Amino acid sequence: MTLPPPIERDTSGRFVKPETDEPVGEMADDDMHPMARLLFGWVEAKRTPMILLFSVLLLSAILIMVDPLLHRHDEAEIAHITGFYGIWGFGSFALAVLSGWPLGKLLRRSEDYYGEAETTPQDVEGDQ
Amino acid sequence: MNALLGQLNPGILMILAGLAGCLVKSRRIRQVLMLVTPILSLVLLSVAARGVDISAGSIMGLDLVLYRVDSLSFIFAVAFLIASFLNAIYALHTDDRLQDGMALAYAGAAIAATLSGDLMTLFIFWEITAVSSVFLILRAGTKAAYQAAMRYLGVQILSGVLLLYGLTQVYTATGSLNLEAFTSFDQPGAKLIFAAFAIKAAFPFMHNWLQDAYPKATVIGAVVLSAFTTKLAVYAFARLFPGFDVLIWIGAVMTVFPVFFAVIENDLRKVLSYSLNNQVGFMICAIGVGTAGIGSQLALNGAAAHAFAHIIYKGLLFMSMGAVLYRTGTTKASELGGLYKSMPWTTVFCIIGAMSISAFPLFSGFVAKSMTMSAVAHEGLTVVWLMLLFASAGVLEHSGIKIPYFTFFGHDSGKRVKEAPFNMLLAMGLAAFICIAIGLPLVGGFGYTWLYGMLPYPDVAMAYQPFTLAHVVTQLQLLVLAILAFMLLKRFGLYPPERPGTILDTDWLLRKPGYGFAKWSGTVWNKAGPAMTAVAMRLAAQTYNRLEATFSPRGALARGGLTNSMALWSAVLLGLVMLVVLLAN
Repeated sequence: MTLPPPIERDTSGRFVKPETDEPVGEMADDDMHPMARLLFGWVEAKRTPMILLFSVLLLSAILIMVDPLLHRHDEAEIAHITGFYGIWGFGSFALAVLSGWPLGKLLRRSEDYYGEAETTPQDVEGDQ
Repeated sequence: MNALLGQLNPGILMILAGLAGCLVKSRRIRQVLMLVTPILSLVLLSVAARGVDISAGSIMGLDLVLYRVDSLSFIFAVAFLIASFLNAIYALHTDDRLQDGMALAYAGAAIAATLSGDLMTLFIFWEITAVSSVFLILRAGTKAAYQAAMRYLGVQILSGVLLLYGLTQVYTATGSLNLEAFTSFDQPGAKLIFAAFAIKAAFPFMHNWLQDAYPKATVIGAVVLSAFTTKLAVYAFARLFPGFDVLIWIGAVMTVFPVFFAVIENDLRKVLSYSLNNQVGFMICAIGVGTAGIGSQLALNGAAAHAFAHIIYKGLLFMSMGAVLYRTGTTKASELGGLYKSMPWTTVFCIIGAMSISAFPLFSGFVAKSMTMSAVAHEGLTVVWLMLLFASAGVLEHSGIKIPYFTFFGHDSGKRVKEAPFNMLLAMGLAAFICIAIGLPLVGGFGYTWLYGMLPYPDVAMAYQPFTLAHVVTQLQLLVLAILAFMLLKRFGLYPPERPGTILDTDWLLRKPGYGFAKWSGTVWNKAGPAMTAVAMRLAAQTYNRLEATFSPRGALARGGLTNSMALWSAVLLGLVMLVVLLAN
């Protein structure tokens, strides 16, 4: 018979959880859809976010660099600036997202504000 | 028989089939009916003669044109029919007679309204869309859905009543109910009919019925609702108010303001509802370009193409969120994430819908929206053009990134569910196919020219080139740098986290102070009512008592003996008669 490992205590005498290599609180992905691994397996790779960011950066740079070579026929004066569409897109997106902070504070109320927290229709299956 | 069928407005056929469907108990027979009717209708529509009154009648002295096809109504009707067919496939896993039947009848009413040739027929089917569609919300079975359905019905009926009022003014002034475009708001009925359409198209400050009702509908219901009501209103505007300058500005505002609501909204079906407003804004803006009463051919093509593409990709996005709702029981962004692991096919289709609505080159939104943008820029409306460009980046934010990212990627919610049922995947797959097929340059028989050939002005459309190098690069600049903004904001923790909550919008006015006022009036009435009744009762009682005290057998007049009072009264009456005679002489 083997004894269970001794329970560790910290310096003040309180019990502490033994550290394990297994990630805590994450679901085992055995039940992942086989197609998901094939189509989106790359998403989980650690380097993916960085690779994506740099590819988008590179693409942005290329798109702006080819801009002066194009024969654009924009009617609006402002659009003649090199990379105008990119700047406007970046700015608009950032404005929309950042305005979410004050607007959320201003307009968000509790889910039951109108007394209708429960809105799940009856024709759902609900696997959970 | 063939001749008879050829005269039948396909929309009316669908309404009848839908009503019959409500009575068919056998699920298989009903589903065959739901699938076959749109196909048959499409065949009938494609062989119909253009520009003539195919079927007309007369009721109570009114000449009605029940069925008339032209190039403007044709493309809307085709889009509605395709949507109806896809919706029927999407609903195959359910067995709900009322929902199946009403979905078909609702689609039929929208088609019949589109193919109607006069204002009265338009009004009749306008109202049928309202009444039939409300069931798609009611069937959700929640208290919230019931209340939203009642508000929805109230608003829709109000739109119908305004339309009816307006058309009576038109009839009184002109003696005709023809669907002839207005040229100014000074014409009788123009303002009322404009208001009726504005409600149904969900103009700013009248938009909230949409965000209120659609997200509370059933899984199937939201998909069905997304296709018809607002696009019918877009058609109606294109028919009766082309080139009205005010539409340019209303449309531009409509594209911009929902962007801000969609950013903070947590319920993804509600985000899609805001996105619907934003997209309809592009169409309304396009309709406003050009001369009043005529419009601009390029812009009207843009509006029609956008409506067609939008019906399919918005349906696809609602379908993907419906599949998620069906499997997980929620569409709240704060509770979702990582679903690509369980629903990879749904993920792929949702991304195709997202890329289409964001107008990536090679997807349907690009070939459709380009025309509107070009028409607006061509008119020299720089501010409007910039607003639309802002809204294009906004669409990418809420429909292009937020919907797929927070549902299928992002923070893993740990939810592991089954992939969507096969019929849902099939419907999504077909919709995704159309999104790509009409977005491609001409390759192997597919491509945008199929869509362009169906537009109201096909010659103008065919002369338009969406795939120029400058156009593709500028559009990619807009989208790729916006994606870069997303990545940077996310990386630096500047993207607001998805939080549960109710976002206040203009319906707050109606639902809090408005409802409060109604409730207060009710309380006041409940208290004041009895008080007023008591006063009235007391007055009546006093009057009665006085009368009784004078005239009753026990009363004052009777007390002095019969002869006395009779003699007295006779004398008084005779005196009065004599006085009258004297005065008369």
